[in-house]
Amino acid sequence: MKKNSTKITVFLGVICALITAGSSWYSVVFNDSRFVAPMDLSVYAFRMQDLPMIVSGILFALYILYLFVMLMRIIRVKKQKEASSRMTKRVDPRLGLLGFFGFTGFLGFWTYHADKTVFPFVFFIFFGFFGFFYEGKLSATLMDERYCENKLKANYSANKAAMSIIFFATVFLGQGTLMGNLEYTFIAYIITVALAIALNLFLSSFLLYRYDHEELPKESEG
Amino acid sequence: MPDFVCRLKRYRQLMDLTQEQLANQVGVRRETIMRLEKAQYNPSLKLAVDISRAVGIPIEEIFIFDLEEFNSRDTSEKNGEKN
Repeated sequence: MKKNSTKITVFLGVICALITAGSSWYSVVFNDSRFVAPMDLSVYAFRMQDLPMIVSGILFALYILYLFVMLMRIIRVKKQKEASSRMTKRVDPRLGLLGFFGFTGFLGFWTYHADKTVFPFVFFIFFGFFGFFYEGKLSATLMDERYCENKLKANYSANKAAMSIIFFATVFLGQGTLMGNLEYTFIAYIITVALAIALNLFLSSFLLYRYDHEELPKESEG
Repeated sequence: MPDFVCRLKRYRQLMDLTQEQLANQVGVRRETIMRLEKAQYNPSLKLAVDISRAVGIPIEEIFIFDLEEFNSRDTSEKNGEKN
C-alpha cells in the first residue's frame, strides 16, 4: 500500500512535468512564449492557444495540493503512532557530540572584527545538543506516569534557570552601557540568550535523566 | 522518613508476582514499582487503584498515610509475636 502510494505520487509528478514541458514547448513555438516569458497580466486577453499553459498550470497547482495533503496525512499518522507507542524516541547518545559545534559560536568574535557580522554568536545554542547524550540514554523507555512527572519537573527547572538568566541579562544589558558601547551590549545580549537557550535544552534532558535514575534523598527523622 | 508507608512488596510477594510482572500488569516500568515499594514515589490515584486490583488488596492496606496509626499497629503486632 505504501509502495503503491509512492508509485502513484511519482507517476502523477512525472505526468505533471511532461504536461508542463509539452505546454511550454507549445507556447514557445506557437504562442509567442505567453505564460513562459514574463508578461503583464493586467492587460491579459484570453486566446485559445493559452489553454494548454492554463490547464498545465492548474494541474501543477492540484499536484502541489495533493503533495501537501499527503504530507499532512503522513505527519498525522506518525504522530498517532508516537502517541500510542508510549515509548521515547530512539536517539543515539553519540549525537551529544554535536554539542561541540557550540564552540563555533566563538567565530563570532572573529567575524565581528572582520566585517561586523554577529550571527555566528547564535551558534552557542549548539552547546544544548550535549543534552542528546542523556536523551539517548533514555531512548526507547516506557513513558509511564513517573517519567511524565519527571519530564515536567525537569522542563520546569530548565525553563526557570534559562528565564532567570534572560531576565537578569535583560535588566542589566537593557541599560545599553556595557563598556560604553551599544554594539558590545547587543553582542553580549545575543551571547547570553543563546547560552540560556543552550542551557535550557541541555538541562531539560540532563535533569530528566537525573530525576529518573537517582535515588530520592530520604528526609531526616524529626 | 517518607510521607507514607508502602506495603506493596509484602502483598506482591504473597501474590507470587515479580516487580517486572506487576509493572507490566499496571503499565509502568519496573523502576517505578521499585520506587513505590521503597515509598520514594507517590503514585497517582489511577496507578494506586490499578496496583490494588492487581494484588487484590484495598488501597488503604497498601499505602498507609497515617504513620502514627501504622507505628502503633506495627509495635503491637511485634509485641504480639514476641508473646
